Amino acid sequence: MTGRLNPVLTFFFAAVIILFTGGPVLLSLYGSLVPDRILLDSSKSIFTEGPNFETYRYIFTGELPKSYLTEGANRAMISDAARQVPQSLINSAIIAFSAMSLNLLFGAPAAYIFARYVFPGKKLTFLFLILSPLVPAVALITPIYMALQSIGLVGTRLGIILVHTAKALPFTVLILSVFFRKMPAEIFEAAVLDHCSRFQSFFRLALPLAMPSIGATGLFAFMLSYSEFMFSLVLSGDARTRPVSVVMAALARNTDVSWSLLNTAIFIAIIPTLVLVILVWKFVVEGLLSGAVKG
Amino acid sequence: MWTIKRFPLLWLLPALLPVLLMTLYPIGHALWTSLHRVMILFPGEPFVGLDNYKRVMASSYFYDALKNSLVFTFFAAPSVVVIGVLVALFLQRRFFGSQIVRSVVLLPWVLPGAISAVLWIWVFHPSFGVLNAILRSLNIIDRSIPWLISPQLAPISVTIAHVWTQIPFAVILTMAALSTINSETLDAAALDCRSSFKRFRYVLFPEIRSMIVVLLVYNSLIAFTGYDLVYAMTSGGPGTATTLLSFQIWRESFSMYDFGAGSAVAFIVVLISATLIIAITRALPSDLFGGDEP
Repeated sequence: MTGRLNPVLTFFFAAVIILFTGGPVLLSLYGSLVPDRILLDSSKSIFTEGPNFETYRYIFTGELPKSYLTEGANRAMISDAARQVPQSLINSAIIAFSAMSLNLLFGAPAAYIFARYVFPGKKLTFLFLILSPLVPAVALITPIYMALQSIGLVGTRLGIILVHTAKALPFTVLILSVFFRKMPAEIFEAAVLDHCSRFQSFFRLALPLAMPSIGATGLFAFMLSYSEFMFSLVLSGDARTRPVSVVMAALARNTDVSWSLLNTAIFIAIIPTLVLVILVWKFVVEGLLSGAVKG
Repeated sequence: MWTIKRFPLLWLLPALLPVLLMTLYPIGHALWTSLHRVMILFPGEPFVGLDNYKRVMASSYFYDALKNSLVFTFFAAPSVVVIGVLVALFLQRRFFGSQIVRSVVLLPWVLPGAISAVLWIWVFHPSFGVLNAILRSLNIIDRSIPWLISPQLAPISVTIAHVWTQIPFAVILTMAALSTINSETLDAAALDCRSSFKRFRYVLFPEIRSMIVVLLVYNSLIAFTGYDLVYAMTSGGPGTATTLLSFQIWRESFSMYDFGAGSAVAFIVVLISATLIIAITRALPSDLFGGDEP
Protein backbone atom coordinates (compact mmCIF):
# COMPACT_ATOMS: atom_id res chain seq x y z
CA MET A 1 0.00 0.00 0.00
CA THR A 2 2.42 2.77 0.93
CA GLY A 3 5.54 2.74 -1.24
CA ARG A 4 7.84 -0.21 -1.72
CA LEU A 5 10.40 -1.35 0.80
CA ASN A 6 13.15 -3.67 -0.25
CA PRO A 7 12.92 -7.21 1.22
CA VAL A 8 15.93 -6.74 3.51
CA LEU A 9 14.37 -3.72 5.21
CA THR A 10 11.02 -5.51 5.48
CA PHE A 11 12.72 -8.46 7.11
CA PHE A 12 14.64 -6.15 9.43
CA PHE A 13 11.51 -4.29 10.62
CA ALA A 14 9.60 -7.55 11.03
CA ALA A 15 12.44 -8.97 13.14
CA VAL A 16 12.59 -5.86 15.33
CA ILE A 17 8.81 -5.92 15.91
CA ILE A 18 8.83 -9.65 16.72
CA LEU A 19 11.80 -9.32 19.07
CA PHE A 20 10.35 -6.37 20.95
CA THR A 21 6.81 -7.62 21.32
CA GLY A 22 7.51 -11.34 21.56
CA GLY A 23 10.93 -11.39 23.23
CA PRO A 24 9.86 -11.30 26.88
CA VAL A 25 7.23 -13.97 26.22
CA LEU A 26 9.83 -16.24 24.61
CA LEU A 27 11.89 -15.89 27.78
CA SER A 28 8.94 -17.11 29.75
CA LEU A 29 8.42 -20.11 27.44
CA TYR A 30 12.08 -21.04 27.92
CA GLY A 31 11.77 -20.59 31.69
CA SER A 32 8.74 -22.88 31.84
CA LEU A 33 10.57 -25.74 30.12
CA VAL A 34 13.68 -25.91 32.28
CA PRO A 35 13.85 -26.28 36.08
CA ASP A 36 15.43 -23.40 38.00
CA ARG A 37 18.70 -25.17 38.71
CA ILE A 38 19.39 -25.46 34.98
CA LEU A 39 18.26 -21.91 34.27
CA LEU A 40 20.69 -20.42 36.78
CA ASP A 41 23.55 -22.75 35.87
CA SER A 42 25.44 -21.22 32.96
CA SER A 43 27.00 -24.56 31.95
CA LYS A 44 23.64 -26.25 31.37
CA SER A 45 20.83 -25.28 29.01
CA ILE A 46 17.73 -26.73 27.37
CA PHE A 47 19.99 -28.23 24.70
CA THR A 48 21.95 -30.37 27.13
CA GLU A 49 19.08 -31.31 29.46
CA GLY A 50 16.07 -31.44 27.17
CA PRO A 51 12.70 -29.80 27.89
CA ASN A 52 10.96 -30.64 31.13
CA PHE A 53 7.18 -30.78 31.48
CA GLU A 54 6.92 -31.60 35.19
CA THR A 55 5.55 -28.20 36.15
CA TYR A 56 2.84 -28.44 33.48
CA ARG A 57 1.85 -31.82 34.90
CA TYR A 58 1.72 -30.38 38.41
CA ILE A 59 -0.73 -27.63 37.46
CA PHE A 60 -3.17 -29.99 35.76
CA THR A 61 -2.89 -33.10 37.95
CA GLY A 62 -1.36 -31.91 41.22
CA GLU A 63 1.49 -34.40 40.96
CA LEU A 64 4.58 -32.80 42.49
CA PRO A 65 7.62 -32.44 40.20
CA LYS A 66 10.44 -34.87 41.05
CA SER A 67 12.99 -32.16 41.72
CA TYR A 68 10.89 -30.89 44.63
CA LEU A 69 10.68 -34.26 46.32
CA THR A 70 14.42 -34.73 46.71
CA GLU A 71 16.13 -34.27 50.06
CA GLY A 72 16.51 -30.65 51.12
CA ALA A 73 14.29 -29.21 48.39
CA ASN A 74 12.42 -26.05 49.36
CA ARG A 75 8.74 -26.95 49.34
CA ALA A 76 7.73 -23.28 49.56
CA MET A 77 8.70 -23.00 45.89
CA ILE A 78 5.49 -24.82 44.99
CA SER A 79 2.32 -22.79 45.40
CA ASP A 80 -1.28 -23.93 45.37
CA ALA A 81 -2.16 -20.76 43.52
CA ALA A 82 -0.66 -22.28 40.39
CA ARG A 83 -3.29 -25.01 40.51
CA GLN A 84 -6.06 -22.38 40.40
CA VAL A 85 -4.98 -21.26 36.94
CA PRO A 86 -7.31 -23.52 34.87
CA GLN A 87 -10.39 -22.54 36.93
CA SER A 88 -9.41 -18.87 36.86
CA LEU A 89 -9.24 -19.02 33.07
CA ILE A 90 -12.85 -20.19 32.98
CA ASN A 91 -13.83 -17.37 35.37
CA SER A 92 -12.00 -14.80 33.28
CA ALA A 93 -13.61 -16.11 30.09
CA ILE A 94 -17.11 -15.79 31.60
CA ILE A 95 -16.45 -12.33 33.04
CA ALA A 96 -14.66 -10.88 30.01
CA PHE A 97 -17.14 -12.33 27.53
CA SER A 98 -20.12 -10.95 29.47
CA ALA A 99 -18.49 -7.54 29.84
CA MET A 100 -17.76 -7.50 26.11
CA SER A 101 -21.31 -8.48 25.12
CA LEU A 102 -22.86 -5.89 27.44
CA ASN A 103 -20.47 -3.26 26.10
CA LEU A 104 -21.43 -3.88 22.48
CA LEU A 105 -25.12 -4.22 23.33
CA PHE A 106 -25.22 -0.96 25.32
CA GLY A 107 -22.54 0.95 23.45
CA ALA A 108 -23.41 0.40 19.79
CA PRO A 109 -26.77 2.27 19.73
CA ALA A 110 -25.28 5.22 21.61
CA ALA A 111 -22.23 5.33 19.34
CA TYR A 112 -24.48 5.26 16.27
CA ILE A 113 -26.61 8.16 17.52
CA PHE A 114 -23.50 10.15 18.45
CA ALA A 115 -21.94 9.52 15.04
CA ARG A 116 -24.89 10.29 12.78
CA TYR A 117 -27.27 12.67 14.55
CA VAL A 118 -27.34 16.07 16.18
CA PHE A 119 -29.67 16.33 19.15
CA PRO A 120 -30.18 18.58 22.16
CA GLY A 121 -27.87 17.67 25.03
CA LYS A 122 -25.43 15.88 22.73
CA LYS A 123 -22.32 17.77 23.83
CA LEU A 124 -23.17 17.39 27.50
CA THR A 125 -23.75 13.63 27.37
CA PHE A 126 -20.68 13.08 25.22
CA LEU A 127 -18.58 15.17 27.59
CA PHE A 128 -19.89 13.17 30.52
CA LEU A 129 -18.91 9.90 28.84
CA ILE A 130 -15.43 11.17 27.99
CA LEU A 131 -14.72 12.65 31.41
CA SER A 132 -16.12 9.79 33.50
CA PRO A 133 -12.99 7.60 33.23
CA LEU A 134 -10.79 10.43 34.53
CA VAL A 135 -11.10 9.54 38.19
CA PRO A 136 -8.38 7.05 39.16
CA ALA A 137 -9.81 3.65 40.07
CA VAL A 138 -8.05 3.59 43.44
CA ALA A 139 -10.12 6.51 44.66
CA LEU A 140 -13.38 4.80 43.71
CA ILE A 141 -12.70 1.36 45.04
CA THR A 142 -14.04 1.92 48.57
CA PRO A 143 -17.44 3.44 47.59
CA ILE A 144 -17.96 0.89 44.80
CA TYR A 145 -17.16 -1.94 47.18
CA MET A 146 -19.62 -0.60 49.74
CA ALA A 147 -22.34 -0.08 47.14
CA LEU A 148 -21.96 -3.58 45.70
CA GLN A 149 -21.81 -5.10 49.16
CA SER A 150 -25.13 -3.53 50.08
CA ILE A 151 -26.80 -5.33 47.16
CA GLY A 152 -24.90 -8.56 47.81
CA LEU A 153 -22.73 -8.61 44.71
CA VAL A 154 -19.32 -8.78 46.38
CA GLY A 155 -17.68 -12.16 45.83
CA THR A 156 -19.73 -12.88 42.71
CA ARG A 157 -18.82 -12.75 39.05
CA LEU A 158 -21.78 -10.45 38.36
CA GLY A 159 -20.28 -7.64 40.44
CA ILE A 160 -17.01 -7.76 38.52
CA ILE A 161 -18.89 -7.92 35.20
CA LEU A 162 -20.87 -4.77 36.06
CA VAL A 163 -17.78 -2.78 37.05
CA HIS A 164 -15.83 -3.88 33.97
CA THR A 165 -18.76 -3.05 31.70
CA ALA A 166 -19.02 0.46 33.11
CA LYS A 167 -15.25 0.93 32.94
CA ALA A 168 -15.00 0.06 29.24
CA LEU A 169 -18.27 1.64 28.00
CA PRO A 170 -17.02 5.22 27.51
CA PHE A 171 -14.17 3.98 25.32
CA THR A 172 -16.40 1.51 23.46
CA VAL A 173 -18.80 4.33 22.56
CA LEU A 174 -15.91 6.59 21.53
CA ILE A 175 -14.22 3.99 19.31
CA LEU A 176 -17.45 2.74 17.73
CA SER A 177 -18.59 6.26 16.92
CA VAL A 178 -15.33 6.84 15.05
CA PHE A 179 -16.12 3.78 12.93
CA PHE A 180 -19.80 4.66 12.38
CA ARG A 181 -18.80 8.13 11.29
CA LYS A 182 -16.45 6.69 8.69
CA MET A 183 -19.33 5.04 6.85
CA PRO A 184 -20.38 6.80 3.67
CA ALA A 185 -23.44 8.99 4.31
CA GLU A 186 -24.96 8.05 0.93
CA ILE A 187 -26.08 4.60 2.02
CA PHE A 188 -27.99 6.09 4.94
CA GLU A 189 -29.57 8.73 2.73
CA ALA A 190 -30.69 5.94 0.43
CA ALA A 191 -32.16 4.16 3.41
CA VAL A 192 -34.16 7.25 4.36
CA LEU A 193 -35.51 7.48 0.81
CA ASP A 194 -36.58 3.85 1.12
CA HIS A 195 -38.57 4.77 4.26
CA CYS A 196 -36.29 2.94 6.64
CA SER A 197 -36.81 3.95 10.25
CA ARG A 198 -33.84 5.02 12.35
CA PHE A 199 -34.01 1.67 14.06
CA GLN A 200 -34.07 -0.25 10.78
CA SER A 201 -31.15 1.61 9.26
CA PHE A 202 -29.16 0.93 12.41
CA PHE A 203 -29.95 -2.79 12.49
CA ARG A 204 -30.12 -3.54 8.79
CA LEU A 205 -27.35 -1.23 7.53
CA ALA A 206 -24.98 0.11 10.13
CA LEU A 207 -24.49 -3.02 12.24
CA PRO A 208 -23.84 -5.54 9.45
CA LEU A 209 -21.51 -3.13 7.65
CA ALA A 210 -19.58 -2.35 10.82
CA MET A 211 -19.11 -6.00 11.84
CA PRO A 212 -15.28 -5.98 11.56
CA SER A 213 -15.01 -2.68 13.46
CA ILE A 214 -17.39 -4.03 16.09
CA GLY A 215 -15.13 -7.08 16.35
CA ALA A 216 -12.10 -4.86 17.00
CA THR A 217 -14.01 -2.85 19.60
CA GLY A 218 -15.32 -6.02 21.25
CA LEU A 219 -11.76 -7.29 21.45
CA PHE A 220 -10.83 -4.11 23.28
CA ALA A 221 -13.65 -4.49 25.82
CA PHE A 222 -12.80 -8.15 26.30
CA MET A 223 -9.13 -7.49 26.94
CA LEU A 224 -9.80 -4.53 29.23
CA SER A 225 -11.85 -6.81 31.46
CA TYR A 226 -9.44 -9.73 31.15
CA SER A 227 -6.44 -7.71 32.30
CA GLU A 228 -8.13 -5.48 34.90
CA PHE A 229 -6.65 -6.23 38.29
CA MET A 230 -7.69 -3.91 41.09
CA PHE A 231 -11.48 -4.30 41.02
CA SER A 232 -11.13 -8.01 40.26
CA LEU A 233 -9.00 -8.43 43.36
CA VAL A 234 -11.31 -6.54 45.70
CA LEU A 235 -14.61 -7.86 44.33
CA SER A 236 -13.75 -11.52 43.76
CA GLY A 237 -14.21 -14.00 46.55
CA ASP A 238 -12.65 -17.45 46.76
CA ALA A 239 -10.95 -19.48 44.03
CA ARG A 240 -14.29 -20.22 42.34
CA THR A 241 -14.79 -16.60 41.24
CA ARG A 242 -11.18 -15.39 41.02
CA PRO A 243 -10.17 -14.30 37.49
CA VAL A 244 -6.79 -14.92 35.89
CA SER A 245 -5.34 -11.48 36.62
CA VAL A 246 -5.77 -11.97 40.37
CA VAL A 247 -4.36 -15.51 40.46
CA MET A 248 -1.39 -14.54 38.32
CA ALA A 249 -0.64 -11.50 40.49
CA ALA A 250 -0.70 -13.70 43.58
CA LEU A 251 1.80 -16.02 41.94
CA ALA A 252 4.01 -13.24 40.62
CA ARG A 253 4.18 -11.46 43.95
CA ASN A 254 5.06 -14.63 45.86
CA THR A 255 8.84 -14.40 45.58
CA ASP A 256 9.28 -17.95 46.91
CA VAL A 257 7.53 -19.59 43.98
CA SER A 258 9.92 -21.30 41.61
CA TRP A 259 10.60 -19.47 38.37
CA SER A 260 9.73 -22.44 36.19
CA LEU A 261 6.36 -22.95 37.92
CA LEU A 262 5.52 -19.26 37.50
CA ASN A 263 6.42 -19.38 33.82
CA THR A 264 4.39 -22.52 33.30
CA ALA A 265 1.39 -20.79 34.86
CA ILE A 266 1.98 -17.78 32.61
CA PHE A 267 2.02 -20.01 29.58
CA ILE A 268 -1.08 -21.98 30.42
CA ALA A 269 -2.85 -18.71 31.15
CA ILE A 270 -1.99 -16.92 27.92
CA ILE A 271 -2.34 -19.67 25.30
CA PRO A 272 -6.19 -19.88 25.19
CA THR A 273 -6.48 -16.10 25.28
CA LEU A 274 -3.89 -15.71 22.56
CA VAL A 275 -5.66 -18.21 20.29
CA LEU A 276 -8.98 -16.44 20.82
CA VAL A 277 -7.52 -12.98 20.21
CA ILE A 278 -5.75 -14.10 17.05
CA LEU A 279 -8.90 -15.74 15.67
CA VAL A 280 -11.04 -12.64 16.29
CA TRP A 281 -8.30 -10.38 14.96
CA LYS A 282 -8.02 -12.47 11.76
CA PHE A 283 -11.76 -12.08 11.24
CA VAL A 284 -11.46 -8.33 11.85
CA VAL A 285 -8.52 -7.84 9.49
CA GLU A 286 -10.07 -9.93 6.72
CA GLY A 287 -13.39 -8.16 7.08
CA LEU A 288 -11.73 -4.76 6.97
CA LEU A 289 -9.42 -5.59 4.08
CA SER A 290 -12.22 -7.09 2.01
CA GLY A 291 -13.70 -3.63 1.97
CA ALA A 292 -16.99 -4.30 3.68
CA VAL A 293 -17.16 -0.78 5.08
CA LYS A 294 -15.58 1.09 2.21
CA GLY A 295 -18.95 1.47 0.54
CA MET B 1 -25.68 14.46 9.83
CA TRP B 2 -29.35 14.69 10.74
CA THR B 3 -31.01 16.57 13.51
CA ILE B 4 -33.33 15.08 16.11
CA LYS B 5 -35.55 17.44 18.08
CA ARG B 6 -35.89 15.29 21.15
CA PHE B 7 -33.13 13.77 23.32
CA PRO B 8 -32.85 10.13 22.06
CA LEU B 9 -33.13 8.64 25.54
CA LEU B 10 -33.90 5.11 24.38
CA TRP B 11 -30.69 4.95 22.36
CA LEU B 12 -28.45 6.48 24.97
CA LEU B 13 -29.82 5.16 28.24
CA PRO B 14 -28.25 1.68 27.99
CA ALA B 15 -24.81 3.28 27.67
CA LEU B 16 -25.35 6.11 30.13
CA LEU B 17 -27.02 4.19 32.94
CA PRO B 18 -24.17 1.78 33.88
CA VAL B 19 -21.63 4.60 33.65
CA LEU B 20 -23.84 6.86 35.76
CA LEU B 21 -24.34 4.17 38.39
CA MET B 22 -20.67 3.31 38.55
CA THR B 23 -19.35 6.86 38.59
CA LEU B 24 -21.81 9.35 40.05
CA TYR B 25 -22.12 7.90 43.53
CA PRO B 26 -18.46 6.80 43.89
CA ILE B 27 -17.16 10.15 42.61
CA GLY B 28 -19.55 11.99 44.91
CA HIS B 29 -18.38 9.87 47.79
CA ALA B 30 -14.71 10.46 46.94
CA LEU B 31 -15.30 14.20 46.63
CA TRP B 32 -17.02 14.24 50.03
CA THR B 33 -14.11 12.29 51.51
CA SER B 34 -11.57 14.73 50.11
CA LEU B 35 -13.28 17.58 51.98
CA HIS B 36 -13.46 15.78 55.33
CA ARG B 37 -10.93 14.33 57.68
CA VAL B 38 -11.46 10.58 57.23
CA MET B 39 -8.92 8.59 59.18
CA ILE B 40 -9.45 5.20 60.71
CA LEU B 41 -7.63 6.14 63.91
CA PHE B 42 -9.69 9.26 64.59
CA PRO B 43 -13.41 8.95 65.28
CA GLY B 44 -15.79 11.39 63.63
CA GLU B 45 -15.43 12.81 60.16
CA PRO B 46 -15.34 16.61 60.53
CA PHE B 47 -15.56 18.92 57.54
CA VAL B 48 -12.13 20.44 56.90
CA GLY B 49 -12.67 22.26 53.61
CA LEU B 50 -9.58 22.31 51.43
CA ASP B 51 -7.24 21.30 54.26
CA ASN B 52 -6.53 17.88 52.74
CA TYR B 53 -5.57 19.49 49.44
CA LYS B 54 -3.24 21.99 51.15
CA ARG B 55 -1.65 19.29 53.26
CA VAL B 56 -1.05 17.02 50.29
CA MET B 57 0.41 19.79 48.16
CA ALA B 58 2.72 20.89 50.95
CA SER B 59 4.05 17.39 51.54
CA SER B 60 7.57 16.53 50.53
CA TYR B 61 6.72 13.90 47.91
CA PHE B 62 4.08 15.84 46.01
CA TYR B 63 6.18 17.77 43.47
CA ASP B 64 8.51 14.81 42.85
CA ALA B 65 5.56 12.52 42.17
CA LEU B 66 3.80 15.15 40.03
CA LYS B 67 6.94 15.71 37.97
CA ASN B 68 7.50 11.95 37.55
CA SER B 69 3.90 11.40 36.48
CA LEU B 70 3.96 14.24 33.95
CA VAL B 71 7.31 13.15 32.48
CA PHE B 72 6.11 9.55 32.35
CA THR B 73 2.88 10.55 30.56
CA PHE B 74 4.62 12.92 28.14
CA PHE B 75 7.00 10.19 27.04
CA ALA B 76 4.83 7.10 27.31
CA ALA B 77 1.56 8.19 25.64
CA PRO B 78 3.04 9.72 22.43
CA SER B 79 5.53 6.81 22.16
CA VAL B 80 2.71 4.29 22.26
CA VAL B 81 0.76 6.15 19.58
CA VAL B 82 3.76 6.81 17.30
CA ILE B 83 5.11 3.25 17.53
CA GLY B 84 1.59 1.84 17.22
CA VAL B 85 0.89 3.85 14.05
CA LEU B 86 4.27 2.95 12.53
CA VAL B 87 3.80 -0.75 13.23
CA ALA B 88 0.23 -0.60 11.88
CA LEU B 89 1.42 1.11 8.67
CA PHE B 90 4.10 -1.55 8.32
CA LEU B 91 1.68 -4.42 8.91
CA GLN B 92 -0.70 -3.13 6.23
CA ARG B 93 1.63 -4.55 3.60
CA ARG B 94 1.71 -8.23 2.80
CA PHE B 95 5.00 -10.05 2.92
CA PHE B 96 6.21 -13.54 3.70
CA GLY B 97 5.32 -14.14 7.35
CA SER B 98 3.17 -11.01 7.76
CA GLN B 99 0.46 -13.13 9.41
CA ILE B 100 2.93 -14.26 12.06
CA VAL B 101 4.07 -10.72 12.84
CA ARG B 102 0.44 -9.61 13.07
CA SER B 103 -0.18 -12.31 15.68
CA VAL B 104 3.01 -11.81 17.67
CA VAL B 105 2.26 -8.09 18.01
CA LEU B 106 -0.80 -9.03 20.09
CA LEU B 107 1.24 -10.95 22.68
CA PRO B 108 1.82 -8.13 25.21
CA TRP B 109 -1.94 -7.69 25.38
CA VAL B 110 -2.81 -11.16 26.65
CA LEU B 111 -0.42 -10.98 29.60
CA PRO B 112 -1.94 -9.81 32.88
CA GLY B 113 -0.19 -6.68 34.19
CA ALA B 114 1.49 -8.40 37.12
CA ILE B 115 3.04 -10.87 34.68
CA SER B 116 4.33 -8.16 32.33
CA ALA B 117 6.08 -6.64 35.32
CA VAL B 118 7.76 -9.94 36.20
CA LEU B 119 8.89 -10.52 32.62
CA TRP B 120 10.38 -7.04 32.33
CA ILE B 121 12.15 -7.36 35.67
CA TRP B 122 13.66 -10.51 34.19
CA VAL B 123 14.78 -8.52 31.14
CA PHE B 124 16.21 -5.60 33.11
CA HIS B 125 17.56 -7.45 36.15
CA PRO B 126 21.07 -6.12 36.94
CA SER B 127 22.73 -9.50 37.55
CA PHE B 128 20.44 -12.15 35.99
CA GLY B 129 18.81 -9.92 33.39
CA VAL B 130 18.67 -11.00 29.76
CA LEU B 131 19.43 -7.54 28.40
CA ASN B 132 22.72 -7.31 30.27
CA ALA B 133 23.60 -10.88 29.30
CA ILE B 134 23.06 -10.10 25.61
CA LEU B 135 25.01 -6.85 25.77
CA ARG B 136 27.82 -8.63 27.61
CA SER B 137 28.04 -11.47 25.14
CA LEU B 138 28.20 -8.96 22.28
CA ASN B 139 31.05 -7.23 24.12
CA ILE B 140 29.20 -3.91 24.10
CA ILE B 141 29.51 -3.53 27.87
CA ASP B 142 31.92 -5.01 30.36
CA ARG B 143 30.00 -4.07 33.51
CA SER B 144 26.33 -4.75 34.17
CA ILE B 145 24.08 -1.75 33.58
CA PRO B 146 21.82 -1.13 36.63
CA TRP B 147 18.63 -0.68 34.57
CA LEU B 148 16.20 -0.68 37.49
CA ILE B 149 18.49 0.56 40.24
CA SER B 150 19.95 3.78 38.88
CA PRO B 151 17.71 6.83 39.37
CA GLN B 152 18.49 7.96 35.81
CA LEU B 153 17.77 4.64 34.08
CA ALA B 154 14.85 3.31 36.13
CA PRO B 155 12.28 5.79 34.71
CA ILE B 156 13.42 4.90 31.17
CA SER B 157 13.17 1.16 31.86
CA VAL B 158 9.65 1.36 33.30
CA THR B 159 8.54 3.59 30.40
CA ILE B 160 9.78 0.99 27.90
CA ALA B 161 7.90 -1.76 29.76
CA HIS B 162 4.73 0.37 29.91
CA VAL B 163 4.89 1.24 26.20
CA TRP B 164 5.32 -2.47 25.46
CA THR B 165 2.09 -3.34 27.28
CA GLN B 166 0.03 -0.73 25.39
CA ILE B 167 1.31 -1.20 21.83
CA PRO B 168 -1.08 -3.99 20.68
CA PHE B 169 -4.16 -1.88 21.36
CA ALA B 170 -2.74 1.07 19.41
CA VAL B 171 -1.76 -1.20 16.51
CA ILE B 172 -5.18 -2.84 16.36
CA LEU B 173 -7.19 0.39 16.37
CA THR B 174 -4.87 2.12 13.90
CA MET B 175 -5.03 -0.84 11.51
CA ALA B 176 -8.79 -0.91 11.80
CA ALA B 177 -8.97 2.83 11.08
CA LEU B 178 -6.53 2.56 8.16
CA SER B 179 -8.61 -0.20 6.59
CA THR B 180 -11.76 1.90 6.54
CA ILE B 181 -10.15 4.43 4.20
CA ASN B 182 -11.77 4.46 0.79
CA SER B 183 -9.61 2.58 -1.70
CA GLU B 184 -10.22 5.23 -4.38
CA THR B 185 -8.66 7.82 -2.09
CA LEU B 186 -5.60 5.63 -1.81
CA ASP B 187 -5.34 5.05 -5.55
CA ALA B 188 -5.60 8.78 -6.21
CA ALA B 189 -2.95 9.43 -3.58
CA ALA B 190 -0.63 6.87 -5.13
CA LEU B 191 -0.88 8.77 -8.43
CA ASP B 192 -0.54 12.27 -6.98
CA CYS B 193 2.12 11.85 -4.30
CA ARG B 194 5.47 10.26 -4.87
CA SER B 195 6.95 10.49 -1.40
CA SER B 196 5.35 8.09 1.01
CA PHE B 197 5.86 10.54 3.86
CA LYS B 198 3.80 13.18 2.07
CA ARG B 199 1.19 10.57 1.29
CA PHE B 200 0.93 9.80 4.96
CA ARG B 201 0.93 13.46 5.98
CA TYR B 202 -1.73 14.64 3.53
CA VAL B 203 -3.87 11.59 2.80
CA LEU B 204 -3.63 8.90 5.47
CA PHE B 205 -3.17 11.08 8.55
CA PRO B 206 -6.31 13.20 8.07
CA GLU B 207 -8.31 10.00 7.62
CA ILE B 208 -7.12 8.39 10.85
CA ARG B 209 -6.79 11.62 12.82
CA SER B 210 -9.81 11.05 15.03
CA MET B 211 -8.63 7.54 15.91
CA ILE B 212 -5.22 8.97 16.82
CA VAL B 213 -6.92 11.49 19.10
CA VAL B 214 -8.85 8.67 20.78
CA LEU B 215 -5.63 6.72 21.25
CA LEU B 216 -3.76 9.71 22.64
CA VAL B 217 -6.53 10.52 25.10
CA TYR B 218 -6.81 6.89 26.19
CA ASN B 219 -3.07 6.45 26.61
CA SER B 220 -2.56 9.70 28.48
CA LEU B 221 -5.28 8.62 30.89
CA ILE B 222 -3.77 5.17 31.32
CA ALA B 223 -0.30 6.58 31.89
CA PHE B 224 -1.42 9.35 34.24
CA THR B 225 -3.94 7.46 36.36
CA GLY B 226 -2.45 3.96 36.44
CA TYR B 227 0.55 2.81 38.38
CA ASP B 228 0.37 -1.01 38.72
CA LEU B 229 3.13 -1.91 36.31
CA VAL B 230 5.58 0.72 37.48
CA TYR B 231 4.96 -0.06 41.11
CA ALA B 232 5.32 -3.81 40.55
CA MET B 233 8.66 -3.25 38.81
CA THR B 234 10.37 -0.75 41.12
CA SER B 235 8.07 -0.07 44.13
CA GLY B 236 8.51 3.61 43.26
CA GLY B 237 12.24 3.58 43.78
CA PRO B 238 15.16 4.04 43.69
CA GLY B 239 14.41 6.87 46.12
CA THR B 240 11.44 8.60 44.52
CA ALA B 241 12.70 8.23 40.93
CA THR B 242 9.65 6.27 39.73
CA THR B 243 7.05 7.29 42.34
CA LEU B 244 3.93 8.32 40.43
CA LEU B 245 1.24 10.70 41.65
CA SER B 246 -1.52 8.12 41.17
CA PHE B 247 0.35 5.71 43.40
CA GLN B 248 0.18 8.29 46.21
CA ILE B 249 -3.62 7.91 46.25
CA TRP B 250 -3.17 4.28 47.19
CA ARG B 251 -0.39 5.04 49.67
CA GLU B 252 -2.28 7.79 51.50
CA SER B 253 -5.53 5.80 51.60
CA PHE B 254 -4.62 2.20 52.16
CA SER B 255 -1.17 2.33 53.67
CA MET B 256 -1.46 5.47 55.84
CA TYR B 257 -5.27 5.19 56.30
CA ASP B 258 -5.69 8.87 55.50
CA PHE B 259 -8.61 8.54 53.09
CA GLY B 260 -9.20 12.31 52.97
CA ALA B 261 -5.69 12.96 51.69
CA GLY B 262 -5.93 10.03 49.26
CA SER B 263 -9.12 11.41 47.71
CA ALA B 264 -7.58 14.88 47.56
CA VAL B 265 -4.68 13.50 45.49
CA ALA B 266 -7.25 11.71 43.30
CA PHE B 267 -9.02 14.98 42.47
CA ILE B 268 -5.75 16.72 41.75
CA VAL B 269 -5.10 13.87 39.30
CA VAL B 270 -8.59 14.40 37.81
CA LEU B 271 -7.94 18.13 37.29
CA ILE B 272 -4.60 17.52 35.60
CA SER B 273 -5.87 14.72 33.36
CA ALA B 274 -8.86 16.85 32.32
CA THR B 275 -6.39 19.58 31.35
CA LEU B 276 -4.34 17.04 29.41
CA ILE B 277 -7.40 15.83 27.49
CA ILE B 278 -8.48 19.36 26.62
CA ALA B 279 -4.92 20.16 25.51
CA ILE B 280 -4.85 17.08 23.27
CA THR B 281 -8.19 17.84 21.62
CA ARG B 282 -7.18 21.48 21.11
CA ALA B 283 -3.79 20.57 19.62
CA LEU B 284 -5.32 18.00 17.27
CA PRO B 285 -8.74 19.30 16.33
CA SER B 286 -11.01 16.59 15.02
CA ASP B 287 -14.73 16.25 14.43
CA LEU B 288 -14.88 13.87 17.36
CA PHE B 289 -15.76 16.20 20.20
CA GLY B 290 -17.58 19.07 18.53
CA GLY B 291 -19.98 16.89 16.62
CA ASP B 292 -21.96 19.75 15.04
CA GLU B 293 -20.46 19.52 11.60
CA PRO B 294 -20.61 16.28 9.62
